Amino acid sequence: MRSIVFAILVGLVGAALLHIVIVLALPRFTGKDAYSRVLGLYEMDSFFSLNAEPGPTGLANDDPYLRVAVCGFSVDGGPARFVAKGAVPFWSLAIYDANSNEIFSMNDHTAVNGNLDLVMATPIQLVDLRKAPPENLAQSILVEMPDEEGYAVLRALAPMDSFEETARDFLAEASCEPFRR
Amino acid sequence: MFRIPFLVALALIVTFGVGIISTVSALKATVGFGAIALGPWVALPDAQTENTDPYAKAHRARAGKLLYGGAEGLEFTAAMDSTGEKLSSGCSYDIIGTTPPARFWTLYTANASDQPAKTDPALPSAINAWTVLRKPDSTFVIHVSPAAQPGNWLAIRRIGPFKLVLTLLDTPTAGSSGLIDLAMPAIVKTGCPDA
Repeated sequence: MRSIVFAILVGLVGAALLHIVIVLALPRFTGKDAYSRVLGLYEMDSFFSLNAEPGPTGLANDDPYLRVAVCGFSVDGGPARFVAKGAVPFWSLAIYDANSNEIFSMNDHTAVNGNLDLVMATPIQLVDLRKAPPENLAQSILVEMPDEEGYAVLRALAPMDSFEETARDFLAEASCEPFRR
Repeated sequence: MFRIPFLVALALIVTFGVGIISTVSALKATVGFGAIALGPWVALPDAQTENTDPYAKAHRARAGKLLYGGAEGLEFTAAMDSTGEKLSSGCSYDIIGTTPPARFWTLYTANASDQPAKTDPALPSAINAWTVLRKPDSTFVIHVSPAAQPGNWLAIRRIGPFKLVLTLLDTPTAGSSGLIDLAMPAIVKTGCPDA
């Protein structure tokens, strides 16, 4: 009898350990996290506009008034530059790393002239950019990227049906490209 | 004769059974710690950051949602009314009051598994800061009901329990440490025609 109680106790200790291991390891192997879904779109280096209905990757415009575009990017070969302009009532951008941790976020009020112009770069690339700033990056916001890979989420607001086209054009014309001098 | 193998098997069954069930139920029951609750409205301002707890990280990796960054907005969900009762789509509710300062807000309904609820596209299934009708003091009353209502009507389908999702865009609420003066609208049940 005592040995059965002992076995259950050992089992409970093991269960606690397993609980901790699963919770800590889960983000690495779900395959359903936001970055895997963005990669599943097979669209690197350009903004992919999502639909109201979840596509094969399960990403969709959750909010009925926000149009969302995502872009998977890598700063391995060089800095990544994000540019968008247009007259939507509100837009916002968030940059996440491969573990879906937020690196940087901004909206149209925190942008220069209300236009999106952002460069994500590794610390070494940033030093290069600051040493000899290219002419066309004079207005850009430069942000350091701790990892090499990540994804960007760009949201545009369409508070009424008449803004629908503006918001879609804003996302369609937004670019997310490797920056070359 | 089979005492030792039996005891080992028992310990392993307890380990894997309790370990897996407790993990799955913990991830289902909570979306992590660090939530701020304003009446029935609950938000996780740090859920998308590195600093959030392991439960929130596991939960967001399983849900795979595109979360809002700090400068983008803050999403509040309510699964209960102001008296603490679960929201049921058989009932009608009034959302009364005003939101904390934000440039814009949107309100829509979601089903129990956090997916946006599907309604007839002809019905008003979402409301935002521009389309809502306000009183002279800029507060509003939104009627959430499966039956048509005068004024601000948020249509729901009879799908059982549901959630209300209120997203504040570009709001100082996310970075606010003193959550004293933030008033969220109250959710008041007005009646259950079926019950």
